[in-house]
Amino acid sequence: METMQPTLKRGRDVWNRINMPKAEFLGRVEKIREQIEQKGIDVLLLYGNSLNEYGNPCYISNYFMKMAQGAVVAITCKGEVTLICEGFSRDLPTVKSTTWVDDVRSCEDVSQRSVAFLEEKNLIPSTIGFVGLEQFMPYHQFQFLLKSIEPCKIIHAGDMIREIRMIKYQREVDQIRRSSRIVARIFDRIAQTPFPDANEKNLEAVMGREAYLEGVEDIRMLIAKPQEGNWALRPFEGVSLSADNVVIIYLAVEFERYWSEGIRTFLFKNDSFAEPNLEVVKSLYKRIVEGMTLRKRVSQFYRETIDKIKESQVDIIHEYGLGQGIGLSLQEFPLLIEEDTSPLKEGMCLTLRLAIKDKEMGAMMIGDTIYLSKNGPEVLT
Amino acid sequence: MSDHHVKLNRVVELIHQRGFDGLIIYSSGISYILQPCYLYYFSGFRPMGPNNAVIISKSGDLILLVEPRWDSIRASKKSWIRDIRGTSDFLKDLTDILRKFNITGTIGVIGSGEMTTKLYEGIHQVAAIKLAGDIIEEIAKEKTERELDIIRKTANIADIGFKAFLEHARIGIREYELMAEMEFAMRSAGADDIFNMMSSGNHNYAMHPPTDRRLAPGDIVIGEITPACEGQFIQLCRTVFLGKPSSVLIEKYDVLVRALEESLKQVKSGNPASLISKNMNRVISEAGYAKYCYPPYMRARGHGFGAGSVAPGAVIDDDTKVNLERHQVVIVHPNQYIPETGYLACGETVLVTDTGMERLSKTETKLYINEG
Repeated sequence: METMQPTLKRGRDVWNRINMPKAEFLGRVEKIREQIEQKGIDVLLLYGNSLNEYGNPCYISNYFMKMAQGAVVAITCKGEVTLICEGFSRDLPTVKSTTWVDDVRSCEDVSQRSVAFLEEKNLIPSTIGFVGLEQFMPYHQFQFLLKSIEPCKIIHAGDMIREIRMIKYQREVDQIRRSSRIVARIFDRIAQTPFPDANEKNLEAVMGREAYLEGVEDIRMLIAKPQEGNWALRPFEGVSLSADNVVIIYLAVEFERYWSEGIRTFLFKNDSFAEPNLEVVKSLYKRIVEGMTLRKRVSQFYRETIDKIKESQVDIIHEYGLGQGIGLSLQEFPLLIEEDTSPLKEGMCLTLRLAIKDKEMGAMMIGDTIYLSKNGPEVLT
Repeated sequence: MSDHHVKLNRVVELIHQRGFDGLIIYSSGISYILQPCYLYYFSGFRPMGPNNAVIISKSGDLILLVEPRWDSIRASKKSWIRDIRGTSDFLKDLTDILRKFNITGTIGVIGSGEMTTKLYEGIHQVAAIKLAGDIIEEIAKEKTERELDIIRKTANIADIGFKAFLEHARIGIREYELMAEMEFAMRSAGADDIFNMMSSGNHNYAMHPPTDRRLAPGDIVIGEITPACEGQFIQLCRTVFLGKPSSVLIEKYDVLVRALEESLKQVKSGNPASLISKNMNRVISEAGYAKYCYPPYMRARGHGFGAGSVAPGAVIDDDTKVNLERHQVVIVHPNQYIPETGYLACGETVLVTDTGMERLSKTETKLYINEG
C-alpha cells in the first residue's frame, strides 16, 4: 500500500543482536555468494534508497536509511562485505552501531563512491551483478555509474534476491510477528480508549505515541470515512469525528526493520471506537485466508478469491488490491494479482486486504499480515 | 488574483523566457528537510508516491497526474488544480499528456533528481529535457502572508515540542520514549511532519534518531526539535543537563549563546549569508576551539527552510556566496563539538527582514537544567 513518506524515520534505532545476530547475516551472505559464483558474478551491488526501499542493502547489512538517501552493499565472492551509504562522515559511528559490516563508507553520492570502490578493488572491468539499481537509483546517478563501468559486463540479479527475500528465515518471521503484535495492540488500544472531542489528528497523535513507545522505527497511517461521498484512504486531517462515523484505519509499523500492516473498520459512537457488525465481511475474509494454501499459485488464489467474493454477492473495491509480500518493505513479492504465477510457499509473509461496498456503512475493510507456515496461513495481526 | 494564479502566471512566463514547450514538476513522494517538494509547493497537494507530476503547457493549461490512482480523490480536495487524473500507468499517461499539450520540442523538468531511468528516458523520447529546478525557487523566494502565518504556527509547535522535551527529559526514560512524548505533543498541536534528532550521555558526538539508552544522572541531552506544517519546517536546537551542571559546561554553553547572538546580529536582508558562519566561528575560535569549527567536527552553521525554496541554501558556511534576502527562513545553529563537554546544541530559526531578523520561537536560548 502506498502511504505518506515522512521526512525522517525517527523511532527507536538499534541493532538488536539477540533478535537478529551477526550469524544470520553471514548465512545470507554465504547463500548469495553461492549463487553469484554460479552466475559468474565478481561483485554484486545491492542498492536501495529513501524510506521505503531500504530492503536490498538492509537484507545483508541491517543498515537502513532514515531519510532520502541511498545505500549500496557490495558483495564479492571472497573478501569482506562493504556498505556505502550517503550521509556525513560524523554519522559513521551511529551507522556502525547498527550493522555488523566493518567496511562502512559514507559519501555524498553513492554512485560516485561505488565507482571509486570498484576502482579500488580492481573490479573495472569485471562482471557486476545489479540489484535494485535500475529500478530505484535516480537517473543521473545511474547514468554516471553505467558510464564509469562501461568495460564491465552487467548481470541483472534482481530476480535472484527477490526469490531469496520472498521466503523469510525464521528470525525474519519472528520480527514480523513482533511488528504484527504492535499493530494488534494499537488497534486494541483504539477500541478500548474513549476519545472525547475526537479529531483525526488527535487520534493519529495517540496511535503514533503508542507505536513509538513500543519501539517502532516508522509508522504509516491512513484513514477513510466511507460514508462520505467521494472517499478514499488518505492521511489524517484536522477534522472532527462525528457520532456514527464509520472509520477505516490502515496501520503499518516497522519494528527492527520489518513491517507489518493491518486494516480495521470501526464505528465511532459515544466517543469510542466500536466494531460494527462485520459478520459478512469477516466470514468471507476467513474463507479467503483459508484459501492461502501451500503450493497453490498466486494466480489461482486470486481467481478463487474473486469467485468467493462473487458467491457472497458483495461488491469488491479493487482500488487497494488484495495484498502482496511484506517484510523489509511494505511492498514485496509475490503480488496477489492474477498475473503472478509464483507458488505460495512456506515462509512467505503476505498482506491480505479485503474491501467491500456496503449500503449502510459505505464500505468495510479488513486486512492483516499473514504468515504461511507448514500448517497453513497464520494471521499475525 | 489568488496566490495560485500568481504562481501559475509566473511559471508560464518563465516557460516562455526559457523557450520551453512546457514544464513537468515531478515528485516521487519523498520529503527531504533540505530540499523542498516543488510539486507540493506549486499544487498544494503533498504527494505520497510513487509517481506524481504537474504538467504545464506554454498556454497555461495544466494537469496533475497522481499515482496511486485512488489518491486522486485527496488531490482533488487539496489542490487548486482542476484537471486531476489518477493513473496506474504513470509513464504512458504522462507522455500522452505531453503529446496532447504539443510538448514535443523541449521540456523543462523540475524534480528530475527523483526520476528513475525508465521514467526519465521515457520522457526524453517525447521531448528534449532541460533541468529547470530553479523555476520554483525563483517563485518561492519571497514568502506570502499565508506562508508567514504557517511559519509562525509551526514555530509555536516547536516551542510546544521543546516544552515536552524538557518535561520528559528525566532520569530513567529511554531516548525513544522521550522522543515519542515530544512527537505526541507536536502532533497534537498540529504538526504534519517532524524531523527530530537527539543524543544523550556525558559526552555526545552527534545527533541521531533515538536509541534504547536510558537517561542517567549527569547526562547532557541535546535535541533538534523540528516540526513542519504544510512543508514549512522550523527548528530549535537545545541542550538540557540532568543534574547540577559543572562550571565548565556553563562556561562552554555560554560561548555558544554568544556565538549565536553575534551571528544573529548579521542577519539582515542584503548581508552576505556567510557572515552568519564567520561570526559564529570567530566567537568559538576566540574561545580556543578553532579547529573544531570545521569538518570533520562541524559542517553547516545554518541553512534555509521553506516549502518552495531553502534559500539562502542547504548549507551556510564561511564559503557561502549568496546574500540573505527578505522573508527567508534561516536556522542559525552554533551546534558545536567541544572536547571538554562533547557536542552541545544551540540554535534558532529566524525570519530575515529588511531591518534585521525576527526570532520565530519563544523558547529562551540558554542551557536548561533538570535537577530533579
